[in-house]
Amino acid sequence: METSYETIIIGGGVVGSSIAYHLSERSKEEILVLDKKFPLSGTSGSTQAWVWVHNKTPSWYAEFNMYSAELYPYLSKKIGDIEYKRTGGLSPFFNEADREKAERLAKAYKPLGIKIKVLSREEALEKEPSLNPDVVGATFSSIDGNVNPFRLVDRYMRAAKKNGVQYSTYNKVTEIQKQEGQFTVVSEKGTFVCKNLVLAGGTWSRVLGKLMDVTIPVNQIRGQILVTEPLKPFLHYTISGLRQAFNGEVLIGYSMEQEGLNRATTLDVIQETANLAVHYVPSLRKAKVVRAFSGIRAMPEDGFPILGKIPEVENLYVAATHSGVTLSPLIGTLMTELILDGETSIPIDRYSISRFR
Amino acid sequence: MDKSTIICRCEEISLGEIEEVISNGAGTFDDIKRLTRCGMGPCQSKICNCLVANIIHEKTGTPFHEIPLPRMRMPISPIKLETLATNSTTFSSVKSVLDEVELEDGKVR
Repeated sequence: METSYETIIIGGGVVGSSIAYHLSERSKEEILVLDKKFPLSGTSGSTQAWVWVHNKTPSWYAEFNMYSAELYPYLSKKIGDIEYKRTGGLSPFFNEADREKAERLAKAYKPLGIKIKVLSREEALEKEPSLNPDVVGATFSSIDGNVNPFRLVDRYMRAAKKNGVQYSTYNKVTEIQKQEGQFTVVSEKGTFVCKNLVLAGGTWSRVLGKLMDVTIPVNQIRGQILVTEPLKPFLHYTISGLRQAFNGEVLIGYSMEQEGLNRATTLDVIQETANLAVHYVPSLRKAKVVRAFSGIRAMPEDGFPILGKIPEVENLYVAATHSGVTLSPLIGTLMTELILDGETSIPIDRYSISRFR
Repeated sequence: MDKSTIICRCEEISLGEIEEVISNGAGTFDDIKRLTRCGMGPCQSKICNCLVANIIHEKTGTPFHEIPLPRMRMPISPIKLETLATNSTTFSSVKSVLDEVELEDGKVR
């Protein structure tokens, strides 16, 4: 294995692998991805993987998500079948008071090009007949959808490897030094040097930052998800809280807990999630749950992505975010532009780590 | 066994598919599971897990005691959602998306 690279990316999840792939499309220089375990063993492999835009706030963040969602059809043509489907996203609400909120959201996002329709009860039930008849209305946007996260990361990885990217997995980084314009990255399986270093450690970003004496303020949020047995296709849309996969399984969950890196599933949240499922789609009562899993999501302190250069250290970059699945095509594209061209086609100043200083 | 021998009966995953992802870097049952769906079906790897451990051992030479077991998931055996549900409609850690839309001075932030 080589020991000298142009760029090393630490973290092979959906964000790190997307950067590796997009960078390898344009650059023939040597690229290495290091992962402490194996891609998909962390956050990227434990998600419902909605590609979600329409009710993220504030509006500039929704707009950023929209640009990324727009890249998905093109991405799936390039890297292969990732089971991406733009189903449209439906967020049902169950009390009349939410309608006003929904109307304001629709009005505020219209100028950005994010079309949100506020549906009446009848319209919501016509679109998604399995919804609880007690529903009062729903917001709907055609830009939302979902993807198979396993396929997505696997395809990023395979496409990157085809372009010459190397992966070293089960290989934890223990030390990073910067001397004479290059980084020395010490890992369990060897020492590597590189010119550019990208920290894409997701939930582990703080730990990675510490190796360079940089604070990357990313916390952890736990989400628990239930998976049913395969059912006949009956859900047409990605509903905020549940979605049906290609193979018929329904994935259910919308929980957020602060439990650090504890990946346990707990009965109380599993029961609440079951309540959510039967409340939204009553016919799921008879569906069997095959498994529950939990994922630790990366959550920057203010909720928004941390992207770009780390100003204190030349050629050191960070990409840490929530919603990594939705944002990965855009983050991969923009980080590549930043590394190769020194500027990005869409401004990312707002997402600079400097905002925390 | 040949390449087409089915290892995971629930998801119909063949020996060839499992060997392919091992040669692509997968080192544990759970890595193989995420890349192929082997062990993700109704039996939740109760049938295939020893077979897969054997394939990992033969292909990589990793001793059996160093091959991690698959992560077992609740509820171990499939159970109906209505059995789990308590019918409460108030949620604490489970949210709806509109709850997260914040208004500031009556406007979307």
